[in-house]
Amino acid sequence: MLEELLIFTRGGLILWSSCQALGGAALKGSPIDALIRSCLLEERSGDASFSQDNYGLKWTFHNELGLVFVAVYQRILHLLYIDDLLAAIRKEFSQIYDPKRTDYYDFTDIFRQLHLEAEARAEVMKKSKQPIVSRPSQTHSHNKTAPKVRGGENTAGGNKKKGGSGKDEDSNGGSATFKGKENSQPYVVFKEKENGGPKDNNGAFDVNKLQNLRNKKKTVPTENGAKKTTKPAIKKKVNRVWDDKPSNKKLDFTEPADERGDEVTDHVLVTRGESMMDKDENVSSDSEDEEEAQDGPKKNGWFSLFQSIAGNSVLEKSDLQPALKALKDRLMTKNVAEEISEKLCESVAVSLEGKKLGSFTRISSTVQTAMEEALLRILTPRRSIDILRDVQSAKERGRPYVIVFVGVNGVGKSTNLAKVAYWLLQHNLSVTLAACDTFRSGAVEQLRTHARRLQIPIFEKGYEKDPAVVAKEAIQDASRNKSDVVLVDTAGRMQDNEPLMRALSKLINLNNPDLVLFVGEALVGNDAIDQLTKFNQKLADLSSVPTARLIDGILLTKFDTIDDKVGAVLSMVYISGAPVMFVGCGQSYTDLKKLNVKSIVKTLLK
Amino acid sequence: MEEWIQQAQVWAGQAESWVRQQPPEQIYVAAAVVAITILVLIAASCLKSSKPNTIVLSGLNGSGKTTLFYQLRDGSSHQGTVTSMEENSDTFVLHSEQERKGKVKPVHVVDVPGHARLKTKLDEFLPRAAGVIFVVDAQDFCRACKQLQTLSSCRYLYDILTKATVVKKRVPVLIFCNKTDKVTAHSKEFIRKQLEKEINKLRESRNALSSADISDEVKLGVPGEAFNFSQCQNKVTVSEGAGLTGNVSAIEEFIREYVKA
Repeated sequence: MLEELLIFTRGGLILWSSCQALGGAALKGSPIDALIRSCLLEERSGDASFSQDNYGLKWTFHNELGLVFVAVYQRILHLLYIDDLLAAIRKEFSQIYDPKRTDYYDFTDIFRQLHLEAEARAEVMKKSKQPIVSRPSQTHSHNKTAPKVRGGENTAGGNKKKGGSGKDEDSNGGSATFKGKENSQPYVVFKEKENGGPKDNNGAFDVNKLQNLRNKKKTVPTENGAKKTTKPAIKKKVNRVWDDKPSNKKLDFTEPADERGDEVTDHVLVTRGESMMDKDENVSSDSEDEEEAQDGPKKNGWFSLFQSIAGNSVLEKSDLQPALKALKDRLMTKNVAEEISEKLCESVAVSLEGKKLGSFTRISSTVQTAMEEALLRILTPRRSIDILRDVQSAKERGRPYVIVFVGVNGVGKSTNLAKVAYWLLQHNLSVTLAACDTFRSGAVEQLRTHARRLQIPIFEKGYEKDPAVVAKEAIQDASRNKSDVVLVDTAGRMQDNEPLMRALSKLINLNNPDLVLFVGEALVGNDAIDQLTKFNQKLADLSSVPTARLIDGILLTKFDTIDDKVGAVLSMVYISGAPVMFVGCGQSYTDLKKLNVKSIVKTLLK
Repeated sequence: MEEWIQQAQVWAGQAESWVRQQPPEQIYVAAAVVAITILVLIAASCLKSSKPNTIVLSGLNGSGKTTLFYQLRDGSSHQGTVTSMEENSDTFVLHSEQERKGKVKPVHVVDVPGHARLKTKLDEFLPRAAGVIFVVDAQDFCRACKQLQTLSSCRYLYDILTKATVVKKRVPVLIFCNKTDKVTAHSKEFIRKQLEKEINKLRESRNALSSADISDEVKLGVPGEAFNFSQCQNKVTVSEGAGLTGNVSAIEEFIREYVKA
């Protein structure tokens, strides 16, 4: 049953609503606002559909007139005629549309007629495909009941957090592209594990798996990955074993009290200089942009006058294809993940289709401008990245501000943690480090050295302890000592390592930190999407509370090693919706910067 | 080279003789037309570069700007609004003044989307603003201000008040507390005090930072004293009303004050 069909302008005014015209029941919640906020403004307008609570939404644009047509229906029902209906309505409405008019009551009859026609056409199509249709429809109903249960639990979290809505689309959307992969829950895990195995880029982990299998004398897995995938589900975390000899000796060499490297203590604070976070970047380019902005609107006035008289070629999808393909290739050479470039190009195509091309502009420059705006929109943070202000508010409430650093192995968590501590110290805040990486050899010593050089307290409990408990005690200790910020270091873990992700989820849920910072390196390619989606998914799945904590911010590291291949920024921000709070651009204490959105957009499209 | 000079002299002589041959009235008429055209162009450019007359409606997502825009223009908010994806810009005569006799000057009002992703659109319109109306949701105010990690009303207002263009041109700001028709709406005095307190805190935390802070362009208020809206160089006033019911007289007075009829 079609619940509602809404026609509104891009500026926000509702022109016609089927609920109000035909007297139907109003929608529960506000799915339209959710659609705009989490889909259309996030440059996902190329997706086939969006779902929220029990509603599924499909939409189409009329770019020339600046109108949006949205159809809302019950998600469990599978309505075939929606796309058809939306196209027909768009055609009819654009004929009677007038920018000065704001009420379109006469459209009600036209709508009723179109609705009946579309339903009739769908019935005819269904009847003609009767024997084939019945089987897929059964599997569809089967599929939709299982994810719907999950959807019910997750939407409360999914509404508020960006990662949640991305996940909703992944597992619950009724869109055509996802139908093939959709299955009940255990099979989703199955599929992911299968992809995770061969795609692993950490060689040691693979070897480890094989050796464990050899040790336990199981049958060697064949090409069928099914046996392989059941193993990670049941095996517990075993110590890394080399050369078939399980070592029983305790490998914890930490000296409990004695400080060996005392003579190397040096005051890093004053001698290292200002952290690059506080330096202004690219002041000249900003002033250029300002002047352009002031001249821009004036130029637009003259040009639009000419265009309205002269240019009148309407942009078709086929016209946009070559320009978009070129743009997509350019983005991919800048190390943007392939999936993301594809989605972005689709979104830009959807927003440009049907627009009138001015006679003084080429297609490629129109596409370029649209893509620039889209990139600017994505990279502009949706929430404040002013950590200092948040620390002040937490200080007023009498508790320390807790930041947890998570990420895969080897991205630079401990190094950048020290840089962030240095920066906070420069702003006269008292920092405590919490050594919750109780796995990697030397991790605690590393943090201890940093703490000594920066002259800040460190809370540590040695190795082989439960990180969640260590973190909890660290926070209690910090609040007793009136510390302003607590920086929690965790062990690196691969995104498809189930037991480690569970442990991470436990740490986050037990301590409820103020900021969960995902540390990712700028060198990563397509794996960035996998890392972020899986991290968010695991954090949401394994949390015990309905409003799960997801990744709040991103710390991009090793930025100095990429010259202009800055695409990883875009992939990470697009897929998770979290803003980039810091950028690590070197290996000393002062190498920490803020992200300059305009320069990144310029570099990406050069 | 000399050949060219000679040729030019010959042409000048020819032109002069041709001009003398024309009847004098034609020459005078031609000269007059040219002079008048130049005068008209100069006058038009002078008039255009007079004070800007754009009023900018800004505020957080969901505070009611689009509703207010349509109230001012048409006297009703039609069938409702959704989150704006683009700005609404129009030049019109205020609806309440359409019945007034005589010539009423139309007003250019721009409603800038409040969503955090579209914040850059505000920078396009602020340089040409004659006045800024900052719309605050009086019902939801406490929750919106206390949220740690979202772009709160207070921070948005702080950003506007510290922009160089706003301070240099002394653009007046009206803080409009919307949705007062709802029962749980706060009073404008309460909102005013809360905003002053929050901006004071923001100001202090920004001042505690190093001198090269990125987003701040102007320092607000007097150091050492608690922040007060009267300390701003541009005029800041607070008033209340409701967009849905049409209670927008405060806005209309503000507009009339700064865009002379």
